[in-house]
Amino acid sequence: MDNFIFELKDVYFSYLGKYPALCGLDIGIKAGEKVAVIGANGSGKSTLLHMLDGLIFPDKGTIKAFGEELKEGLFNEESFTRSFRKKVGLVFQNSDIQLFCPTVKEDITFGPLQLGVGREEVEKRLLSLADILGIAGLLDRSPHQLSIGEKRKVAIASTLAIDPEVIILDEPTAGLDPLTSRHIIDFLIEANLSGKTIITSTQDLHIVEEIADKIYVFNAEKKIIKSGLASEILLDTEFLRENNLIHIHRHKHRDTIHTHPHHHLDHHQ
Amino acid sequence: MQRNNFIERSLAGALSFLRESIFADEYALKKGLLQSLDSRVKAATFLVFIIQALLIKQAVLLFCLYAFCLLLARLSNIRLGFFLQRTWIFMPLFSLFIALPALFSIFTPGEALLSFKIAGIQLIITRQGLGGAFLFIMRVITCVSFVVLLSITTRHFTLLKVLRTFKVPQVFVMTAGMSYRYIYLFVGIIENTYLALKSRIGTRIHRRKGQHLVAWNIAYLWQRSYHLNEDVYKAMLSRGYSGEPVVADDFKIKARDLLWICVVFMVFISVLYLNYRMKI
Repeated sequence: MDNFIFELKDVYFSYLGKYPALCGLDIGIKAGEKVAVIGANGSGKSTLLHMLDGLIFPDKGTIKAFGEELKEGLFNEESFTRSFRKKVGLVFQNSDIQLFCPTVKEDITFGPLQLGVGREEVEKRLLSLADILGIAGLLDRSPHQLSIGEKRKVAIASTLAIDPEVIILDEPTAGLDPLTSRHIIDFLIEANLSGKTIITSTQDLHIVEEIADKIYVFNAEKKIIKSGLASEILLDTEFLRENNLIHIHRHKHRDTIHTHPHHHLDHHQ
Repeated sequence: MQRNNFIERSLAGALSFLRESIFADEYALKKGLLQSLDSRVKAATFLVFIIQALLIKQAVLLFCLYAFCLLLARLSNIRLGFFLQRTWIFMPLFSLFIALPALFSIFTPGEALLSFKIAGIQLIITRQGLGGAFLFIMRVITCVSFVVLLSITTRHFTLLKVLRTFKVPQVFVMTAGMSYRYIYLFVGIIENTYLALKSRIGTRIHRRKGQHLVAWNIAYLWQRSYHLNEDVYKAMLSRGYSGEPVVADDFKIKARDLLWICVVFMVFISVLYLNYRMKI
């Protein structure tokens, strides 16, 4: 029997009951896996991540986490909520949403304090994460004073402070400079090597191979159109182009203008 | 031209006021006497001063307490010009309109000091009226000065945390903190929206069109804040929030704070004694 930590069967979800966001998803994620969800804008990636984090629930179909079916009523039980939140952490796409406290320090300690982690342990995690992510100098600052990259790092720290088994990240490198992106990718690889399950939604195909072994590709109909090994799917340029994940790029090399699909993968080959 | 820039000037003025008054931590980050004290101790002792200012019946003593407040401001590296401007700006609002009628015999009968006629009506300023008005103004300016001094020497989010010490419910403190956090986000949105408008249609906007744009922006901002509210709540749930926030207090009382408490106690007792002696 497969040891899935997340198992979705024929999941449907719509906003306000009339705007479909997920249509017939079947997904299985095992402990310690690196999984990426890719797809064009509005294909349902963020909705899926919110569902995996127990923030929204299927209209139809089932979602199981750690062997238990996730239903809204289940989160009214404090023991279940606490145990689930300790295991699963979500980094939101918009860091301004996630950083709601007046200071960086309070934001990072918010999660573990709610989940009953001892004060000394919270302080230890705070200092360790601040050191690893290079944000020690920002702890007393207000989130509104930070740059986008700094906010993203603080948002990641605020989720990791919970020390979850599963880290879910919604577009973690979107809009970041190359150095900050690199820093975050390296950090995710390290986290996975230490046993964490990493689930990432992204449109940056050039980072997918590093942060995922397995990928799920969403299409505009909010369905999974393809899933499998990252190394195989990323080579299927025709498929990626059909789904708006790469584009034909026309550019100049010395005096010659030529055209080819643009997906950044060549840098790693 | 002036009229055309009305929206721009109003927006710029409102945003710069918000930035200066809400987000200015300039003085709170300076090194000085009050900045070095524990915020809880500072807030509690300032409350003592305010209560004392409300109870004192002698104008001279109130003046001394006010002078003490100015001395504290100076010892905290606050420019007196800035401090006086910040505090006296509230005076017309809080006291002048109340104190002014009290000068006259109609409201405070007594020994006449000055009399004059306005539009055929005889007005008399009485000694008792003048004394009462002076006492009232001194009381208000002393209280306002202590409040302003506390707010500019303490970072705003720390002040919010201090409220917890006074048993203000945690949910209230947290909501206030979040409002403080997100006002800045909305200030940024308003600024950017206005810049986007300016880049497309310039600053010469017809009054009616301008009103329409402002109204539309208010509605848009309301919509944004509504969505933000839902998303932030999700982010809180995601990190284990279950209705009763848990927070860590990192206040520490040092020897300096104990010394400050002794000074405050001595000032309090001295003023109380002098107030009692002067009455006899």
